[in-house]
Amino acid sequence: MNEATTVLSTYPINLALIIAGAFIQAAMVAEEKEKNTLRGLLLSPASTLEILIGKSALSGLMTILVIIGSIIFSGYAVPSLLLFSLSILLGLVFYLATGTILGLLSRTVMETSIIGMPVLVIFGMSSMFKPMVENATLINIIELLPNEQLNQIWFGLSDGKGAADILMNLFILFLWVAVSFLLTIVIYKNRRFD
Amino acid sequence: MENVIEVRDLEKSFQNQLALKKVSFQVKKGETIGFLGPSGSGKTTTIKILTAQLHATAGEVKVFGEPIAKLKDPTYMKRIGILTDNSGLYERLSIYDNLALYCDLYEVEKKRIAEVLATVNLIEESQKIVQKLSKGMKQRVTLARAMLHQPELLFLDEPTSALDPVNTMHIHQGLKKLNQEGTTIFLTTHDMQEAETICDRVAFLHNGEVSLMDTPENIKTQQSTSSISLLLRDNRKVVVQKDEAGAKEIYNYMKVGEIVSIHSDEPTLGDVFVKLTGRKLL
Repeated sequence: MNEATTVLSTYPINLALIIAGAFIQAAMVAEEKEKNTLRGLLLSPASTLEILIGKSALSGLMTILVIIGSIIFSGYAVPSLLLFSLSILLGLVFYLATGTILGLLSRTVMETSIIGMPVLVIFGMSSMFKPMVENATLINIIELLPNEQLNQIWFGLSDGKGAADILMNLFILFLWVAVSFLLTIVIYKNRRFD
Repeated sequence: MENVIEVRDLEKSFQNQLALKKVSFQVKKGETIGFLGPSGSGKTTTIKILTAQLHATAGEVKVFGEPIAKLKDPTYMKRIGILTDNSGLYERLSIYDNLALYCDLYEVEKKRIAEVLATVNLIEESQKIVQKLSKGMKQRVTLARAMLHQPELLFLDEPTSALDPVNTMHIHQGLKKLNQEGTTIFLTTHDMQEAETICDRVAFLHNGEVSLMDTPENIKTQQSTSSISLLLRDNRKVVVQKDEAGAKEIYNYMKVGEIVSIHSDEPTLGDVFVKLTGRKLL
């Protein structure tokens, strides 16, 4: 399977991560904000982690179901279940964290679609635009994005590569996860204040 | 008695406009304190700073003897209850389910739900969906939620503002019971009767400043006039001074059976507030 075919067959998985993971999560968090229920949770003894995990559980589960459906419908042959699952897990945490940030920054559920538009373009469509881009710096930047890391991991695995070959991609993806997670906690804690 | 809340020279400004000016007060354990003031006087700002929802611009705020920043610690959050101006209830859930969720968050047994619902007179409606409740009923559910974990310190921002007299009485009885069980209550209100009914001490907040803080009785006594009003048989109202001449005048009216009623002129808290600030409590 060449890179283009892999990108096409894995595109639904990437889209599932961004739409089901990030956007549903953003809408759920924004609704909590809009209806003032988030304030109640923020003022309760529940820890930040407990609330964030609780808030992400449903959208996380829905995303996994959509990914399974996407794999079935796109006919993508999962090459290494363990490494593929690990990449999905990292991607899921990143997109859920991104969705939480979007939800926390939006005042209403409606606003999440406006604020989320650049996120959808950058993290959802940049892989599609890459073949059209001629600027080397821009290509380098696109290649560092989490969706591109996921594509490279999946392409590598489909091409018969092992864990050692995709280690750098996993590491870059992990950095994205760490940064988005820390940013989520900082923004979340700031929402406690008016 | 130990202070549960200590506030010294608290200031808060919004875009260079001072909302609270050098506010200082203490609240002792077991007290019920009322912050009285009209809309925009700084009551909600005070409560938000005390519950760590708003940063103070200057001054020192301690709750349970610790700086306010500690309130973010889950152990401290368990010790306080908060009723804010917006309900924050899950609209698609029933009253019971809303409270059950908070039972889990505060590690309280579910049997407590029936107790708090009885206090706010909602025991019959426990299975109703919050979306279908009136504003007053939602306020009572929020109050029940704030009381659920029997907090040591309860912050109430205008707890009965949307309630009818019967339910207001229910809430007052519930708050008195909670206070007797040891809960310190800090409430804001512009209802002077509420303040007189349930508060041990009240503070008048006007333009971001505490102009007076004392027991309702002391405030009224200090501000009372030295006159007595008489209503006579011919519907005339006569005001006499509390002195020897006044006593003789009253005696003369009594001798001829002219007096229908007699009472000393004591101001209400509202009268005192208007006298001190020139503004009504609206």
